Amino acid sequence: MSNWESKQTEFTESILAGNEQAAVALARTSLEEGATPVEFFENCISPSLQDIGKRFETLDIFLPEMVTAADTVEKVNEDVINPAVAESQAGESMSLGKVLLATVQGDLHDIGKNMVGLMLKVNGFEVVDLGTNVPPADIVARAEQEQVDIIGMSALLTTCLPYMKDVCDFLEGKNIRDKYPVIIGGAATHPEIAEEMGANTHGGSAAEGVEKCKMLLGKL
Amino acid sequence: MRTRGRLLDVLDKAETGPIVEEQEWDVEYIQKPIARLVKEYDVSWDKDLFVPSDDDLADRVFAAGLELARESGVYCTSTKRRMIWSQAELDEVIATSPSQVTLGEGEDATTIRARRPEENSKVTVCGGAYGIPVPEDQFVPIMLSYAQEPLLDFIDNASLVSTYGRPIRAASPWEAVGCWQEVDLSMEVVRRAGRPGMAIGCAENSPTEIGELSSTSYGGFRPSDWHHAALVSELKTNYEQLTKVVHFARTGSHIHTFANNIFGGYPGGADGMAVALVASLIMLQATYFGCTVNPGPTHAILSCDTYPDMIPGIAVALQGLNRNTNLMTTAFARTAGGPGTKTILYEAAALALAAVPSGIALMEGVQAAVGIETAHCTGLEARFLAQVTHAAEQLSREEANRIVQSLTQKYADDQKTKPVGKPFDQLYDVQKVKPLPEWQNLYVEVCQEFEQEYGLNL
Repeated sequence: MSNWESKQTEFTESILAGNEQAAVALARTSLEEGATPVEFFENCISPSLQDIGKRFETLDIFLPEMVTAADTVEKVNEDVINPAVAESQAGESMSLGKVLLATVQGDLHDIGKNMVGLMLKVNGFEVVDLGTNVPPADIVARAEQEQVDIIGMSALLTTCLPYMKDVCDFLEGKNIRDKYPVIIGGAATHPEIAEEMGANTHGGSAAEGVEKCKMLLGKL
Repeated sequence: MRTRGRLLDVLDKAETGPIVEEQEWDVEYIQKPIARLVKEYDVSWDKDLFVPSDDDLADRVFAAGLELARESGVYCTSTKRRMIWSQAELDEVIATSPSQVTLGEGEDATTIRARRPEENSKVTVCGGAYGIPVPEDQFVPIMLSYAQEPLLDFIDNASLVSTYGRPIRAASPWEAVGCWQEVDLSMEVVRRAGRPGMAIGCAENSPTEIGELSSTSYGGFRPSDWHHAALVSELKTNYEQLTKVVHFARTGSHIHTFANNIFGGYPGGADGMAVALVASLIMLQATYFGCTVNPGPTHAILSCDTYPDMIPGIAVALQGLNRNTNLMTTAFARTAGGPGTKTILYEAAALALAAVPSGIALMEGVQAAVGIETAHCTGLEARFLAQVTHAAEQLSREEANRIVQSLTQKYADDQKTKPVGKPFDQLYDVQKVKPLPEWQNLYVEVCQEFEQEYGLNL
């Protein structure tokens, strides 16, 4: 497969335009030509979405375009990639990991968290989004229930930061702190706050959040 | 009686409107209609323009925003329902919105009046730390640095980092404790400033309804103060905000309402943001029926509202609202730059110069370094904002455009490096509450620059 570069450019254009038909066709053709689903993901979907993420970070594109791209990729996964993976003997998984996201108790702001969720999805993570105003105990319970790989918490308001510490304390109390790397983000946070709250790391932007999640899981 | 009737109608809407999933709201009721309305109403302007002076464009933006308000309404996240207003109801909201309000008491009271674009009349100015976190022992000197400025008609509080040494937890008893400490400290501020009747923007330690309900009470914040209620992005309310409004209505408190449309978010770019902004201010009035309405749009990455591309969107939306309603619109300087930098002064000035000739009634600020750096706030940047605001009262939109164009060139690159400046205690003599020479000299230098380059005598 020597023409990944041109395929990726074409794929990027298709998903940004929300052209499901073209994106699905390109994926299908690639697989028919001999590429494995993982090869298509790594050489086409992943770099296209990284490119789109970077363009959003500089606001060369806006959130609606990123949503369109993510929806289109989901369609490609549903129609082509997932069935191909299911059929393959190797049973390869393309998920980088499962991330739980929540805006902590007392805080109803979710735009930043939603952006992070979208960026994680487009970069190959599974996302379990608990929404806003989520009590610490619920975050821990759902992390266990969903068997996530990372817990991600967001807060815009400084008065909601103590609830982040509660989550880390609850994990300690249940002797499962080592099981769940914790990342925090949002306007009220910075790296020193992450340390104070007992989190593993801090994401200063959606893109940085994705990189940090990869680092936490040793995928970088 | 009228307010109570309208209040009950609003609460009814939150219980009876169609049920919609939040994600569907964001896409089907915000993103898609805005994209359509931008095209339908031809919401566009020349890229080099920062303060458009095209009245027809302003009216089209207003019409598009009103259509969005009518077609989408407001989403209540507590009940997962769309709250819907008919055109007749919105017409009544617009027709009955107050056009002036007096805040504060006695000799320290100030009156805000609605204005039209290019109206040569006084703009009221509110200066303050606007929720910037500050240590308990610095709250009084920091807020005094604003209250002592004669050009500031009233103040808006900082947030406390802690209360009596403990963290303030939202939605807990600590929120009430923090708000009562905010009452005590801010009353000390206005007393020490010799302006005991001055209105106070509050309560800044009340992310939920708990702090506000507790502290706007006997011996606490007064009805004549300036109480806050907000729409969450985009066009969303919840029981917490609605509960605050019920309390304000019952106590006869003045309500300041605001929205934070996201530039680069679901509304898209500055064109879509302008449409969302008009809809938000109309719906703030419809949902919370306050006195002043603020569009505090937020850059999706930088978090400021002074990013050059955002300014024409803010200006044209304000013009549309101020040409077609009597709403007391405001502008709020949330700068990427912090105190002790020239960037903060350029950014704040650019927004004031765009907003004042666009007809705002009230200028607010400065929420320095986008409001997140502890104690990064001083009264000096608010004084400068007030000076520029009053200088801009005399300007046409065209004249303002030329200055804003030049100013944005001075700060556009710096914004991206987030020059947060220095905290209060490194820029002011904390005991005397006076700017230290470093910050004072920088301020004087920029004032002279404005006089020499732009002919603005500050």
